Amino acid sequence: MSISESKDFPVSTSSLKEVRVFSREVFEKLNLDQDLKDELVLAIAEAAQNIVKHGYKGVEETEDRMEIKISLNESQLEIGFFDKGKPVVPENVQHRKLDDIKPGGLGTFFIKQIMDGAVFKKDQKGWVNHLVLSKKI
Amino acid sequence: MTYKVTEEGNVSTVFLNGEIDMDITEKAKEVILPLVESGKEVHLNLKDVSYMDSSGISVLIESHQKALEKNTKVIVKDVSKSVLKVIMMAKLEQILNLE
Repeated sequence: MSISESKDFPVSTSSLKEVRVFSREVFEKLNLDQDLKDELVLAIAEAAQNIVKHGYKGVEETEDRMEIKISLNESQLEIGFFDKGKPVVPENVQHRKLDDIKPGGLGTFFIKQIMDGAVFKKDQKGWVNHLVLSKKI
Repeated sequence: MTYKVTEEGNVSTVFLNGEIDMDITEKAKEVILPLVESGKEVHLNLKDVSYMDSSGISVLIESHQKALEKNTKVIVKDVSKSVLKVIMMAKLEQILNLE
């Protein structure tokens, strides 16, 4: 089976619910286990949250939009995130140590737990950042 | 997210409802943290919380740590299966008081 759907959203915390709704709608079309769907939605929401929280840190309001593209080709799932926030330095994207219990720093950990791969690509085509999350399902 | 707070003796129970993400964490903290700051034992009932992301987990951690500072406790109750999975993914099931 193959599918490719994309949607753009305002860069805002208030978009996170819409991001989940879009993701759930796409995954409903695929014959996936509910637990896996929940995990994938969480990973997507965390990546979108990272754009709002870190890519636009210090920006109170913006007209910018972010785009999310969910593609499945055979059993390879790819989720692309495009944004025009601050350029991400991949080496600086790290989660906190789990035994250092404190609020924050878990979103990237969740993404790494759920997905097989998380790579920033250099084919932005007008965007600043292009993150691709991948998983064999 | 919607919420309801009930009081019984020194225990405040906060019934949260809906999905807890970064958009509503400030609201959740505004509800929970003053109760903890007042020294009450706070029960967070998550029966009707269908989704929680890392921001929601941060609220649970902050509440728990604030309670330790105040010599009281926060008990997280009736956690839904989907939220429990996220708590376990963060390896917090032994840290938070879950019932």
